[in-house]
Amino acid sequence: MTDLRQNFHRDLDEIRSLIARLGALVLELIPRVTEVLLDQDLEGAEYVVLGDADVDARALDIEDRALRMLALQAPVAGDLREVASALKISADMERSADLCCNVCKAARRIYGHELDPKLRGIIQKLSDQATKEYREALDAYVNADAVKAAALPDIDGYLDDLHRQFLQQIIESHTAGSIDLQVAVQLALVARFYERLGDHAVNLGNKVRYITSGWMPEQEALARLRARDSEPESSGTE
Amino acid sequence: MTNISRPEVAADDRPDRHVAANVFETRDLAVYYGKFRAVRDVNLDIREREITAFIGPSGCGKSTVLRCFDRMNDLIDSARVEGTIRYHGVDLYDAQVDPVEVRRRIGMVFQKPNPFPKSIYDNLAFGPRLNGVKKKAELDDIVESSLKSAALWDEVKDRLKSSALGLSGGQQQRLCIARCVAVKPDVILMDEPCSALDPIATARIEDLMRELTNEYTIIIVTHNMQQAARVSDRTAFFTTEVNAESDRRTGVLVEYNPTSTIFSNPDDERTEQYVTGRFG
Repeated sequence: MTDLRQNFHRDLDEIRSLIARLGALVLELIPRVTEVLLDQDLEGAEYVVLGDADVDARALDIEDRALRMLALQAPVAGDLREVASALKISADMERSADLCCNVCKAARRIYGHELDPKLRGIIQKLSDQATKEYREALDAYVNADAVKAAALPDIDGYLDDLHRQFLQQIIESHTAGSIDLQVAVQLALVARFYERLGDHAVNLGNKVRYITSGWMPEQEALARLRARDSEPESSGTE
Repeated sequence: MTNISRPEVAADDRPDRHVAANVFETRDLAVYYGKFRAVRDVNLDIREREITAFIGPSGCGKSTVLRCFDRMNDLIDSARVEGTIRYHGVDLYDAQVDPVEVRRRIGMVFQKPNPFPKSIYDNLAFGPRLNGVKKKAELDDIVESSLKSAALWDEVKDRLKSSALGLSGGQQQRLCIARCVAVKPDVILMDEPCSALDPIATARIEDLMRELTNEYTIIIVTHNMQQAARVSDRTAFFTTEVNAESDRRTGVLVEYNPTSTIFSNPDDERTEQYVTGRFG
């Protein structure tokens, strides 16, 4: 096959590998910030928070390249889906790194407070699950694997369960007097950060499906909405 | 004589603007030049008051198909058309249909502007005069309204008597569109109407095409994919297939879809490859 737009496609490949690199960076951050949290590692927290500027710069670079490509190369079809997705994926990854920073900031706020083993256990599980999801999503992206991408929402179900368990445990630990209210509130936020990381992994999976086939989750939502609107009113409420 | 005029349906009377009627319906259309089959298996429904773009590499048969719609292929001795083309339900190639009447209803704008070596006014009055319009006031009205619909009136209203050949390339092309409009056609066929024009003249014509869809159905052949993306409602992508036995190339219709589909998520892998420049 002759490629009539070799330079353009080379630039597109470059964006793809920049995204993969940024994703790998975020992937490493998740277990690292969990260590910071569990080990009360202030130095590590400082390091991660300062490092966020690098992540922001990389995300900005990807966005800049994608916008330039839209302006100058008029990409279409699969190329267009790839470039449009790069804009969203880079934003998702940048936000994921922010969530990791937030975990570090929470670690600073509860510095000096011991966490009981049950809490520590669930935090570790949340972190492992979020890392796993992110790795699967990144794999799906790098290999354009729409099948794996489609499994991510279900994989994310487990993280959502852990999130609920953790909240329950925070309430129990607080009631039992092992953590005070300030710590409980910070941990509830931490729970949310891990849960959101999983959502960003699902978003990345959705983009993989969009790139490979044009599929968008919003289309299904729209179809549901239309089906609901077209139902006769007598069908009652559920 | 079979009546091929457009049924008189006012724009607002149509039950639903979005369910446009078909102007043309081609079924298993194939065109031969002598023994050589230039294009085959073309099944297209061209919708009323839409812009349909034909894209594809050289030799894919897009211009050949376009020329079937006003029976221009009749003018080539060796050309033969198989399959059917229905125009508002009437078989366009029926022996009863008068090709001259067809060409009155279906105008053509060519790649190179081809004004007659006459005044601007006479270029526009030529068709209507041929159709029997004699009154000067009536001709004046036609000249003015056609120039206005081709967005040329303001530029030439003070020099209607000067030669059309003195106009710029872009103006000449708009003059040709105005000349087409002057005989009140139903459909305007355009064969690469902007390929000889600069970007500003091109933009003007593209804008004009959109305006013209208020009254006319437009089919445009273009080499410029971005132009198809910008102006058309639907796009037909043609390509060539090599016959293993004869080693001859034949054009085929690969995909016909809303333009947004063709350029964002085409159904056929070959379309994807062509529009993204991975071709061959």
